Amino acid sequence: MSDVMIRLDEVHKRYDGQAGDAVAPLSMEIREGEFVVFVGPSGCGKTTTLRMINRMVEPSGGRIWIDGRDVTDVDPDELRKHIGYVIQQVGLIPHLTVAANVGLVPKLLGWQRDRIEARTAELLDLVGLDPAAFGGRYPKQLSGGQQQRVGVARALAADPPVMLMDEPFGAIDPITRARLQEEFLALQRRIRKTIVFVTHDVDEALRLGDRVAVFGEGSRLVQFDTPLGILTNPADDYVRDFLGSGAAVRRLGLLNVGDLRKPEPADRLPLRVSSGDSVHSVLERMLRDGADRVIIEGESTEDDRELTLRELLMAGSAR
Amino acid sequence: MPFHEYVLRNAHRIMFLAAQHVQLVLLSVAVATAIGVGLALATERAPRLRSWLLSTTGVLLTMPSFALFGLLVPVLGLGLGPAVVALTVYAIFPILRNTVTGLETVTPAVVDAAKGMGMRSGQRLRMVRLPLAWPVILNGIRVSTIMLVAIAAIGAAVRGPGLGELIFRGLARIGGANALNEALSGVLGIVVVALLLDLSFVLIGRLTTPRGLHV
Amino acid sequence: MSTRDEVANATGEAKSWVLPVIAAALVVIVFASINARELDSIEARLLSGEEILARVGEHLRLVAISTVAVILLAVPLGVLLSRPGMRLLGAPVLAVANAGQAIPSIGILVLLAILFGVGIWMAVISLVLYALLPVLRNTMVGLKQVDRALIDAGRGMGMSARQVLVTIELPLAVPVMLAGIRVALILNVGVATLATYTNAGGLGSLIESGIVFNRMPVVLAGSILTVALALSVDWLAGVCERGLRPRGI
Ligand SMILES: Nc1ncnc2c1ncn2[C@@H]1O[C@H](COP(=O)(O)OP(=O)(O)O)[C@@H](O)[C@H]1O
Ligand SMILES: [Mg+2]
Repeated sequence: MSDVMIRLDEVHKRYDGQAGDAVAPLSMEIREGEFVVFVGPSGCGKTTTLRMINRMVEPSGGRIWIDGRDVTDVDPDELRKHIGYVIQQVGLIPHLTVAANVGLVPKLLGWQRDRIEARTAELLDLVGLDPAAFGGRYPKQLSGGQQQRVGVARALAADPPVMLMDEPFGAIDPITRARLQEEFLALQRRIRKTIVFVTHDVDEALRLGDRVAVFGEGSRLVQFDTPLGILTNPADDYVRDFLGSGAAVRRLGLLNVGDLRKPEPADRLPLRVSSGDSVHSVLERMLRDGADRVIIEGESTEDDRELTLRELLMAGSAR
Repeated sequence: MPFHEYVLRNAHRIMFLAAQHVQLVLLSVAVATAIGVGLALATERAPRLRSWLLSTTGVLLTMPSFALFGLLVPVLGLGLGPAVVALTVYAIFPILRNTVTGLETVTPAVVDAAKGMGMRSGQRLRMVRLPLAWPVILNGIRVSTIMLVAIAAIGAAVRGPGLGELIFRGLARIGGANALNEALSGVLGIVVVALLLDLSFVLIGRLTTPRGLHV
Repeated sequence: MSTRDEVANATGEAKSWVLPVIAAALVVIVFASINARELDSIEARLLSGEEILARVGEHLRLVAISTVAVILLAVPLGVLLSRPGMRLLGAPVLAVANAGQAIPSIGILVLLAILFGVGIWMAVISLVLYALLPVLRNTMVGLKQVDRALIDAGRGMGMSARQVLVTIELPLAVPVMLAGIRVALILNVGVATLATYTNAGGLGSLIESGIVFNRMPVVLAGSILTVALALSVDWLAGVCERGLRPRGI
């Protein structure tokens, strides 16, 4: 339906003096307005891939197009002025005020002062910081979460169609991180940027992405699908391992009750569990297999007990 | 003659020599700053050349100053020439050293982010790296300056300008009436000059350190 | 860290054989050019082999005596000033000593000469005064940076304060103290070139006589030999510093 915004074609990278590829040949298409998350273990080449898109890292081969233009045809500094870039350490310039940090790219682009000021205020507002209160502060006078908001505002300054974000919420405490993720999703629904977002946190990937690219070692693209698609049909054991336990419960988080249709009635075999399994893990497995009864194995067959899903829920309920 | 009376009577001359002293030091420090900062920037991509320069300028600093003046006299004659050159040579190391350290201590993420925003390398240097390294660079310039104020006194041995002249005149008239007064006024003058320059560096530091760095 | 300490570090990094080789080359150049030239009577007198040897001897004697004196004075003083009861005194003493660094070495020499007369001993006193600070400061810094836990452990084992000082604190402070002593040594070689102005001889008197008699070859020879001496002493000090450092630190 929408146009391709970013296209990678057999892009790969080998750093000088290293034996293997940091990123093995990789091809993918990212549509306009799409929020794509790269997820994978540390060192698998996510950052390198991301940085090749704005040419912070020069690819060893392959081609990259943004909006139909080969990035190698554009002066890298010009290219970067029109791509938002957010990193984990934020990298706000410490001797510039918050407003000056946000207004830096427009200034480099030669905008008029009034226009820069208006844009700066608008952006700070957008990321939930009062321009009057925060514009004149210095980065050191902000909390980590506030700094990252400024980082996002700064990346949006020249209204770039594409945003590259490298673990932007990685260094922030869990509560603030959850709030920032929430707000950022709301923001994205308004601004509809094409976003490539890197994380090593599966939950974050599944929560944020329209589509999630799961990487294995050497930036091998193992699966590229919607969160629901990945949770429902993991491509292989690697992805299953990577999702870890709880995939079935997580999948529920992506479904709304309104989406559900009444299933065909079917006889299911009871699930055999041992008395040492946690209720949580048993429920997870029942959900995955669609079972409605469990048999809790005892010392011998006579000691086996059977519980229905209903009984299990009642027994486990807090009241 | 009591010391204060000597100073009052010769105030004009002492002030003149003090001004000369300051000019000599500042001129040398200015040249050394251009060289030191320039070398630090020029060797950013040549770490081995850079460490060679650091140890070489460091070794130069262990050379006795009288000997360095002596080496330069046959080439440059007596007077201002050898004094400026020798002082410049001594002042390079602290400035080079601190410029290197200052640039190295700039948080890489800040430079990376600036690059990611599309700042050219010259813009990154001018707008990000140098301002952030500045307090450290300035401290190198301060250390050099204070050091030169003392070394410049020896320049008078090769007829260099400045307050050292009073010390050597006192020496030449040992036993004479005003020997002590002359030498003492030279020594104290130098201490006062060092103190004043040190204070001005504190002031310059306050005025030129970007505000965001010490909030 | 002071600039002098950094210099000691930087020169310590230089390839160990470079400095002595340069120094030796300088000496060879000086003697070769002396032999190659027609010297007038003044030059010949100042640059004769015995004269030069005598100057070098005077220089080394000045440096040796004053460096030993500096160590004997500054180390115990530094230890004393770092003892618990004396800590408060340490900071002001260091501040005064630091401010004293602003006094030019030639100033101390000349003032002492005017006040108390000239000669070797006046020169030694000047050198000692000037080189005291780095050793004093590094002794105090070196002792201060010893891990408190080690000291407590020593006391906990039943050692007396004195035993803790001798067996734990001092050995751990030695590297920093040695760095300070090396700085003092370098300073002493430099200031000793000025000792000629208080009639204590040394290589500086070659430079001075050369200037006074307007004989540039003498000025040059004196300067180059001084530089060679300074490089060799610095190199030797570096070697000793590495050798004397307690193992395992
Ligand atoms: N500048 C570099 N020079 C050399 N090797 C690098 C560089 N940056 C990353 N690498 C290597 O490339 C691989 C991928 O790194 P990276 O892209 O940072 O992974 P990720 O972001 O997924 O953790 C790693 O093995 C890393 O060591
Ligand atoms: Mg990464």
